[in-house]
Parts: sequence; C-alpha cells; structure tokens
Amino acid sequence: MTFFILRRLGLSLALLFLISIISFFIVTLTPGSPYPWGELNPKISAEVKANFRKKFHLDRPLPEQYALIMRDLFTGDLRSIKDDRPVLSRILERLPATLALNFTSILISLSFGTLLGVYAARNAGRWQDMTGSFVAFLFIALPSFWISYLLAIVLVKGFHVPILGTHSYGIGFPNAFAAGLDTLWHLLLPATVLAIGGIAAQSRYLRATMIGTLREDYIRTARSKGLAEETVLYKHALRNSVRPLVTGIGMLLPALLSGAVIVENIFAYPGMGRLGYEAVLERDYPTLVALNFVVAALVLLGNLLSDLLYAAVDPRVRLE
Amino acid sequence: MRTLRLFLYGIPAALLILLAAAFINATFLSVAKKNEMSIGTLGEPSTLNPIQQADSASSQVGALIFNGLIKYNQDLEVVGDLATGWKLSQETTFRFATDEAAAKALETLNTNRARPGLTATSGFSNWPIIGLLTKGTNLIVTLSQPGLKDSEDMTQALASSDLHPIPFPPLEPDGKERPFKAEPVIRFTLRDGVRWHDGAPFSSADVAFTWRAIMNEKVASPRRSDFDLVDSVETPDPRTVVVRYKKPFSPALLAWMTAILPEHLLGKLDPAKWPELYNRAPVGTGPFRFGGWRTNEFIRLKKNPDYFLGSPWLDSVVFRVLPDPLTLQLAFQTRQVDFWAVDPWSVKGLQDDPRFTLFTSPGNAYNYIGWNLRRPMFQDLKVRQALAQAVNVPQMIKYILYGHGVQSTGIFTPQMWFFDPSVKPLPFDPEAAKRLLDEAGWRPGPDGIRVKDGRRFSFTLLANNGNEVRRDIATLVQDDLKRVGIEVKVEIYEWAVLLKRFVNKGEFDAIVLGWGLGYDFDQYGIWHSSQTHPEELNFIGFSDPKVDHLLTDLRQEYARPEIIRLAGELQRTIYGQQPYLFLFVPQGSEVMWKGAYRLRHPGPDGAWIDEPVRMTKAGWSYDMEWFYRPEYPPTAKANSITR
Repeated sequence: MTFFILRRLGLSLALLFLISIISFFIVTLTPGSPYPWGELNPKISAEVKANFRKKFHLDRPLPEQYALIMRDLFTGDLRSIKDDRPVLSRILERLPATLALNFTSILISLSFGTLLGVYAARNAGRWQDMTGSFVAFLFIALPSFWISYLLAIVLVKGFHVPILGTHSYGIGFPNAFAAGLDTLWHLLLPATVLAIGGIAAQSRYLRATMIGTLREDYIRTARSKGLAEETVLYKHALRNSVRPLVTGIGMLLPALLSGAVIVENIFAYPGMGRLGYEAVLERDYPTLVALNFVVAALVLLGNLLSDLLYAAVDPRVRLE
Repeated sequence: MRTLRLFLYGIPAALLILLAAAFINATFLSVAKKNEMSIGTLGEPSTLNPIQQADSASSQVGALIFNGLIKYNQDLEVVGDLATGWKLSQETTFRFATDEAAAKALETLNTNRARPGLTATSGFSNWPIIGLLTKGTNLIVTLSQPGLKDSEDMTQALASSDLHPIPFPPLEPDGKERPFKAEPVIRFTLRDGVRWHDGAPFSSADVAFTWRAIMNEKVASPRRSDFDLVDSVETPDPRTVVVRYKKPFSPALLAWMTAILPEHLLGKLDPAKWPELYNRAPVGTGPFRFGGWRTNEFIRLKKNPDYFLGSPWLDSVVFRVLPDPLTLQLAFQTRQVDFWAVDPWSVKGLQDDPRFTLFTSPGNAYNYIGWNLRRPMFQDLKVRQALAQAVNVPQMIKYILYGHGVQSTGIFTPQMWFFDPSVKPLPFDPEAAKRLLDEAGWRPGPDGIRVKDGRRFSFTLLANNGNEVRRDIATLVQDDLKRVGIEVKVEIYEWAVLLKRFVNKGEFDAIVLGWGLGYDFDQYGIWHSSQTHPEELNFIGFSDPKVDHLLTDLRQEYARPEIIRLAGELQRTIYGQQPYLFLFVPQGSEVMWKGAYRLRHPGPDGAWIDEPVRMTKAGWSYDMEWFYRPEYPPTAKANSITR
C-alpha cells in the first residue's frame, strides 16, 4: 500500500514535469504576446516595451524562458504580467472560493445523482425511468452557459433577485443570518448550474450498475429470505454499486475546473476558472503556467485519491 | 442502514431546504440601500498605482483616489487641481565667444525690443521679453511665452547686427546643431493645507518624487514618454514646483494631470515591492480613500472627510468586476450597480422608459480603415478617394450604431477645441468612385473585379475578434466595395494575434481599427514619417513632408490661436490625403435609474450648486465625487467648508 502510494507519487511528479513543459509551450506558442497597455497606446515608447519584455524575460529564447519560469515558480518569485504580484498568492486567494464552489457542486451532484440513480434502477423500464433518462440526457446535453443565462434572466427579470458575485451589494442586512443566507444563495446558484451535468452523469452510472447488481443471485437470496425491499435495495444492492461513483469523483474534479470557467464568468464568481480565462486573454504566461501546474497537480492528486477510495470500498481491488 | 438512508435522502433534502431559504431571503432582502454608489466594470483593474496603470478600469478607480496638479473642468478647460496656479515662461540662452559680444547682443535686443512700430513683417516682432541679462559669455532672455519662433526672430536680429552665437550641440544623437538653447519653464503654485489620506502633509517634494518615480526604469511607467523632455524638477519651497524642459514641447503641460504619489510612503521603498505594499492599497489625496480590494469581486473606496474641497456626500463607492456584458445588464436591473453603459441597439428601448435617465456623450474616439500605403494599390490618391466614396458611411452609422454617431472628418473629433468643423466628409457616391478608379487605370475585368497591369483589385481586410462594431464594419465594406468592382476578403483575428502578426510588422493590406486619444493635439506618433518602424504607430506607412512639418510645429507651439490654426491645417491636409478611410465617431450612452443620484458640487465662484446629474462636455460622470443619493441628503454641517 505504502509502496503503491510512493510509486504513484513518483509517477505523478514525472507526469507533472511533462505537463509543465507541454503547457508552457502551448501557452507561449499560441499566437499573440502580452500587451498590458490596453489597445494601441501612443504613449508607450519602444523603451518601455523593451523594459517590460526584459523584466518578464520575454526577450529570451523559449527554453530559457521555461527554465526561468520554473525556477521562479519554485522560489515563489514568479510574478504576474497583469499586476506584477506573485502568481502563487494570486492563485491562493482564489482557492477558498474555488474549493467552496466545487465542493458544493460535487456534493449536489453526488447526493442528487445517487438518489435519482437508485430511483431509476428501482423503476427500470417503467415510465419513471424513461422520463429520468430523458431528463438526464437533456441535462448532459445542455451547455452550462445556456442554463446560466436562462437562470439569470428568469431570476432577475421574474423575481428581481441579485445573483452576481459572492454576496449582494449596497444593502444593509438586518442580521448575520440573513447575510449568511445571502452568501449561501450566491454560492448555491453557480454550484447548482455546475452540478447539473454531474447529477445526470452520476445517476446514469449508478442506474446501470445498480440494475446489474439487482440481477445478482445474492439479491434474489436476500429477497427470498423475506428481507424488506428497502433493506435489499440500500444495504445489499447500493453498497455494491457505488464503485463507478468513486471513479466518477476522480473525473469530476478536472471537469468542474474547466466547466467553472464559463459559469464563474457569468455569475462573476471570483474563482480560479476566471483567473485562468483572463490570463489566457491577457497572455499572462506566468499565471497560466503556474495555474496549469496547480490544476494538473490537483487532478493527479484527485486520481490518486479516487484509486485509494476504490480500494477502500471494494475489497477485491488490491493496490500493489 | 438507517444512517445510509439518512444520508441518501437527508443531504438532498437539506440542500433543497437551504436553496429555498436562500432564495426566499434573496427575494425579501430589504431594498433600503446603503449610502454607497455601485459601479460595474467589465475588466479588473490591474493596479491602483496611477503611474503604472494603462487600462481604463484602473484609471476610473484612481480618479477618485488621486489628484494631479491640473485637471480638465467640465468644459474641458485646464484648471488647477493640486496646483492653484501655474506660469509658463522660457529661458533662451545665446552664447558668444567673449563677454563683450554677449553685452553687445543684450544691447541689440534691448534696442530692437524698444523700437516701436517693428512688426513681424520687418523681421522682428514684439517679443514677450520679461528678463534680459548676461552671465559671462551667455545672454539669457526670459520670455513670458515659450516657443521657438521668438527666439528664431532674435537670432535673426542678432545676425543683422553681425552677432553670431556659438551653436549648441543637438539634443538628439542625429539632430542638428541649435543656434540657442530654449528651455521652457513651468512654475506651479501648490494648494495649501492638502493632506494625504494617512494625515501626512502634501508638499512639492511629492511632485518631484512622482517625476523621479516615472523616470525610474524599475517603475516601468507607461507615462514616461510624457516626461522625457523634462530637464529638472526643482522645489524652492514646499508650495512651489519649478519644472524646466530641454526644449519647447507644448503637450508637456497636460502631462501634469498625472496623479501625484506620496513620497513619505514610497520614497524609500524599492519599486519591486510596490505591487504588494502599495499598488493594491494606495494612499492618495483625493475625495475617496482606499477601503478594500477583493480580486475579481470588488474594490471599495470610503469617503475622505478631510478632502481639500470638503467631504463627499457618499459614504463609499464600490467598483464591482462583472466580466459578462449580459449579467452586467442584469445587475443594473436589480439595482446592484447604479449605471450601465448601453449598447447602441438597446438605446431606443431605454430612451422612453420612464424608469431611467439616459446620458448620451458625443464620443471622443473614431473608427477607421487604415490602408497599408506600402501596398502599390493604395498608393494612388485617386484610389483612396474612390474607396472613401464607395463606402456608405451614413448607412453604417444607421445600421451599426443605430444612428448614435457622426461621420468622422479626420484625425480630430468634434469634441476637441482645435477641431476644424469646416472639413466636410467625402459624400457617398459609387458612380464617382467608379470614375476615379477608371481614371486610375483600374478597369473592370472578366469577373467584374477591376484589373490593372494584370493585377486584380483584391485585398484582405483585418479586424479583431470580440469587437462586433469592427466586424460589422468589415462586412459592410466588403459589400460596398464589391459593387464598385473591388474584392475584399475579411479576416478576423484575436487582438493579441492581430497586433503581433500584422500591425506591429506593418504586414497587412487594410485594417479596421479605432483611435481614442483624449484631447491631445499632438499626433506625432501616429502620423510622422519617422514613426513607421515595426511596433510604431504609423503602421500604415504614411509619409508627407507637409504633415511632418505641421506635426513638429504643433508640438512647439504654445499660443492657443496658433495651435487651432496648425491643428486645423493638419486635419485638412491628412483628410485630403485619405490615408485612412475615416468612418465615424460613435456616441456613448449610459443609463441611470431615474433620480438615483443628484449632484451638489462647488461652482466656479466657490458657492455650492445643487442640481440633477447632467451631461457636460467632460461627460455626465465628471463630478462623480459630488454625487449623492436623495435619500441621504447632504447635511448643512458638511457644507460649511472653507475653500
């Protein structure tokens, strides 16, 4: 077990190194270059531009730029082209909001996904299942920006509810409870939009495995023993069907981070997706490279955790 | 099993209850607004250090925190801000071989200056001399008006008395020797009793420091080129700043609109540490103090009760970063932001809506199509005139701007005080365009596209992604030009790509762009023939000796009537050459909830003026620091300030 973890960590490090090289070259070889002075600005002299390039090593050959960026990343000196602040602190200040959003979103997709999956498996083949399938595929197919806009328009035009940012502005809250609920509202809304695809996917995975499990001999045995249907369903069948959910968690993390770009932008939520999106538009190479690095590390970590969980829930899986 | 079921049903149920509670809470939130102004911006400010910023999101915030020495008033005239007054003068130095020659030169100038009836036509004019003295072999003439013309006249007057000064070495490495040294001087008198937000007194040392900071390579200030010609900044006393220039350069005064930074905080701090220690928590002298910045969320400013013109009425101003245009609009509709910059197509629906007040500003930027004059097909003036007449600009204004714009007649916009209204736009006339093309030798070919010397008249028109107005312009131009037998291929690139691959290298046929340049008459960087190298802004490769002269004269001219004359001639000459297809000046529109704000601001005579928010030459938001919410009326106590 320990050996497995160590080996996976070693492999992950090697992978991270490769990812950092690839992401650096994808980022820097993209056409265009940083121009932090708005549109064409006659006040910017050639000297200022040259100084700027020198400061961010943009005048060096690419391999050297890569080495310098990696060196600065690990010494913590890597600075953003946009505001000249250390990239790591820019990423860290987004981390709480991003984690809150993604954790909430995973919670929503897992809990509702499981509920709907069990319900669908239980009624497999009947109209409830058919409707469920239809809705699930609809949810998977609908682009999140479309849902976001629709939701935003309905809530704002229909109910005049503020939806942007992390809390409402310019309003005196009567008490801390109302303020807390307001913050929660601003978190639950984008989290729900993000979770919609996840709910659908999770329920489909669970439904498929659960139907398989329900056909197993031991389920028939349990039923013929006279156990209550509930007990059969939740104690015997569900436990043996959660494996795909565990794999799902590992895959959810990268999907959430990429999906969050659009949703964070629309809901003006200050997460990492937005940081990355803006960095791409501004050609903020240091931020992009560092962000890719952190996200890649998170994804690798997520994979490792999901493998460990897999072993924990399924005794047949051995980690060696 | 019970726990499992509890989780299975409990978590979704709890989430649903929370969502419902949060929704109900949000619906019933009190509508009682705090005494806070909320402004939505699409972009995140990069830094709040005014000498390091170049984006409009940053300068919008900075304008409330900082002051410059001077500013525009609501009629776009230059008035004092941290300075109460300023005096322009110039020291012209002639040097001679001997002390005697210098003394004789002084004598000559004195007699010529005193002789009545001499006018410019006889060689000498009435020089505005306010001081005349010799220092060894040097003769120093102090003039009340900077500029080169008077000094050149004096050189002639001296030459006619056979006095030939020793020339000075050139300022630029490849420049000419100069017969004299002309050094304009600006003497600023600073306002008394101004304090920084932290309580420290403001003084001339801060001004000198700001100049040193802008010139400091480590600060990498984008304003550096504005101050390149400053020779020295002296501070004879805490209330006086004397700025000396290396040579006459009239746009230099406007550069002092730059915000002044606090020396006592930054003077000993390494600029490398500014981004963390100052740029995100600045200290200024302005009406609002910095109150907090959550990245990608908001910047909050709190009122400065010690502001030198009196405390603002608002408690705070919050700038919210809302990157999506649609949701920004939704935020306005839920009164989460107080103003909204309206797209042209939405104006009509809002104009008659009794809930809103609409402000329309004349606009100070123009859109154009730049012809790359390095390409042979665009080198013929007749062709460029034909192109201008073939494109239906009024229709563009109608369909792209929904009528909210005026046709451009050259490099200046009607808002500028040196704009020449006598220039009339070339009329839309496809028949005339066809005739001109025929005359230029471009005859219709077999496929309808015109041909000359075996070359088809076909070119690529570039525009940048994400700018719908420019994309639409490209489409309409493509259609209009097809009708006169010119093939246009439109290509759209992302801004960064457009700049690096095409504009900076000058490798393109034609490009749709726009200029928004403030109220500066100095257009040297865009039109002078020396500015055509890669990355320079005369990227279309325009070169005209007359324009070169006008540009150089203009930046050495300090007299207002002369500036108007030269700028008018510049505008007419360039418009005549049609190096761009000058399209239109779009108007800007913004809406506010009706009655959300009123304005109580100090008038020109010092008395307070209370009025609704209104449009001025400098925009509706010109006096934003004096806005107040009618539900929080200004108190009499706050009014009684001494100015």
